[in-house]
Amino acid sequence: MFQLFLIAFRNLGTHRRRTLLLGGAIAGVTALLVILQGLSSGMQESMLRSATTLMTGHVNVGGFYKLAAGQSAPVVTSAPKVMELIHKEVPELDYAVQRGRGWAKVVSETGSVQAGIGGIDVSTETGFRKVLQIREGTLDGLNEPNTLLVFQQQAEKLGVKVGDTVTIVAPTMRGINNTVDVRVVAIAANVGMLSSFNVYVPSATLRSLYRLKDDTTGAIFLYLKDLKQVPAVQARLRQTLAAAGYELMDNDPRAFWMKFDTVNREAWTGQKLDITNWEDEISFVKWTVTALNILSGLLISILLVIICVGIMNTLWIAIRERTREIGTLRAIGMQRSRVVWMFLLEALTLGSLGTLVGAGLGLVVCTLVNAAQIAVPKVVAVFILSETLNLAVSPKVILGSMLFITACTTAISLIPSFLAARLKPVTAMHHIG
Amino acid sequence: MSAGQSPIVSIFDVTKDYSLGKVVVPALRGVDLKVFPGEFISIAGPSGSGKTTLLNLIGCVDTATAGVVSVAGQDTKKLTEKELTNLRLHTIGFIFQSFNLVSVLSVFQNVEFPLLLQRKLNKAERKDRVMQLLEQVGLAQHEKHRPNELSGGQRQRVAVARALVTRPQLVLADEPTANLDSVTGQHIIDLMKELNQKEGTTFIFSTHDAKVMNHANAVVRLADGKILDRVTSAEAQRAMAAGAEGH
Ligand SMILES: Nc1ncnc2c1ncn2[C@@H]1O[C@H](COP(=O)(O)OP(=O)(O)OP(=O)(O)O)[C@@H](O)[C@H]1O
Ligand SMILES: [Mg+2]
Repeated sequence: MFQLFLIAFRNLGTHRRRTLLLGGAIAGVTALLVILQGLSSGMQESMLRSATTLMTGHVNVGGFYKLAAGQSAPVVTSAPKVMELIHKEVPELDYAVQRGRGWAKVVSETGSVQAGIGGIDVSTETGFRKVLQIREGTLDGLNEPNTLLVFQQQAEKLGVKVGDTVTIVAPTMRGINNTVDVRVVAIAANVGMLSSFNVYVPSATLRSLYRLKDDTTGAIFLYLKDLKQVPAVQARLRQTLAAAGYELMDNDPRAFWMKFDTVNREAWTGQKLDITNWEDEISFVKWTVTALNILSGLLISILLVIICVGIMNTLWIAIRERTREIGTLRAIGMQRSRVVWMFLLEALTLGSLGTLVGAGLGLVVCTLVNAAQIAVPKVVAVFILSETLNLAVSPKVILGSMLFITACTTAISLIPSFLAARLKPVTAMHHIG
Repeated sequence: MSAGQSPIVSIFDVTKDYSLGKVVVPALRGVDLKVFPGEFISIAGPSGSGKTTLLNLIGCVDTATAGVVSVAGQDTKKLTEKELTNLRLHTIGFIFQSFNLVSVLSVFQNVEFPLLLQRKLNKAERKDRVMQLLEQVGLAQHEKHRPNELSGGQRQRVAVARALVTRPQLVLADEPTANLDSVTGQHIIDLMKELNQKEGTTFIFSTHDAKVMNHANAVVRLADGKILDRVTSAEAQRAMAAGAEGH
């Protein structure tokens, strides 16, 4: 066995140019695979993080309060009680926040924008600090009442700076417009399309805008430690909330703002809770993620096919060149299976060394790209909800890529070595390569 | 050549055709040959007469087009590839016309290789055996060299050492002295003869060299893919001399 290794190893050394070429190709694909996967999962990560922090929890307890048919508000009454129950029943919880929901016009002296109004308790919104880059003012400004956070894009449209005052005009279900004057305290860097339809005010400001009670909020957003736990948590919450006597809406995987019509048509009045997850609330993100996955999957497959053909070709040449040697070894009594083993070892050695170098290379590139904070084109930023390129590097992906490529090259090398080992020794020995 | 013994090589009505595209080249046409254990046989014949082809069939590295080739009592047609490989490894030693050394292995490793495949000896025993053979072929001081650092004659001797290292029952040698000067050639023949006498190893070798034929206890004369006759070395010498006169 050791001798097999020795031959395999020596062969790699003897055919230095071919080894370098092949090893380089293997390293290149591995690096590309790591980078592409890093790009795809990095985009997904930042997309999901931005979208879930700003627009939805991983799991949401929202709902509607109906005064009469046709008059419904997207609110949860007695929110503190529900919150208490959540903290008790969801150990998977990272953190939970209450978020007011509104839809209004923000009017300045020179312009106006229509936007969803998020009512937040900024001190509890730990995610905001990670996701938002404040370009002007501070997030903490939202601790004061009657303040406003807008994105750069909206600030430009409104023609406002930090310190300016704008008016929020909200139609209510009674058919009149409520207004509140707020001071811009923070302008955040754009986060793709999210920055065109969201602004944030303190919860208290939103409540006063809609004349809501102190214990009423729009929805409770649950952020879990692991996204995989979403279905379990969602199911459990349905049970426990129902058991605790809350009326629940039927499961409806749509965003809350699409449900007004349905809710208004139904006959019930009072409070009903609605439990949704992030995929329901921001389906566009889900679609983008799926598209991204398909695209990168396609790209990676094409790349792999090309590279596999190349590697196969090179290995074919290598084995053809060495057919005489194979013939000799077979003639002096080496079994076919051991010949195949020898080539397997060679491919394995080359594969693991190549992928190791490639993984290192990919890692370096990813780290450099992340450090360089490379800006992406605006069109791309709109979809990935981030203005800079972020490559995710996970040991799992790197190890997976290495194993995958090594397995591929090894499997590919099996075909020509099988064929070479099948030759009659004398045919192989007299082969002119 | 005791009559009671069964032959180690028995060839019956063997033909071998090579096909070159649509052309069929007959290399052997109906060859019968019996070689008994302990014989030291030379196959003589002009270039292209089929010497290498015959040795390849006996050495189980090629298969006959028709006829029966039996080695060590086994009909090679009936053996699986694995059994044939084992026969080559354990029973036969082959010295090829073009050496066929493994270029990436050193002289020592080349000679050691069949022993590794056999898995019978431990490391120390292998080393002893290999060094003993390298001494005998006069290459002990070259054990660490690669084949491409050796002369043709030296490579030939490595090939000889590799073929003999397993102490096979049957050694096939295709022109083993063709690349050697007469002194070294004589030395190799002496070595083979010694093994033949001491261990009873059977030798079948092809040669053009009359001096080498001298040592054979029989000469099989091959021409045009057929066996002309099987004679003693003295008769062969006379025949060759007569043939030379005839020209
Ligand atoms: N691989 C092959 N393909 C086609 N024809 C072959 C092949 N090998 C040998 N021959 C032909 O078979 C015949 C016998 O060849 P072989 O090599 O056995 O002769 P030889 O007696 O060993 O000759 P030499 O003394 O030159 O080595 C020749 O006519 C040769 O051209
Ligand atoms: Mg020949």
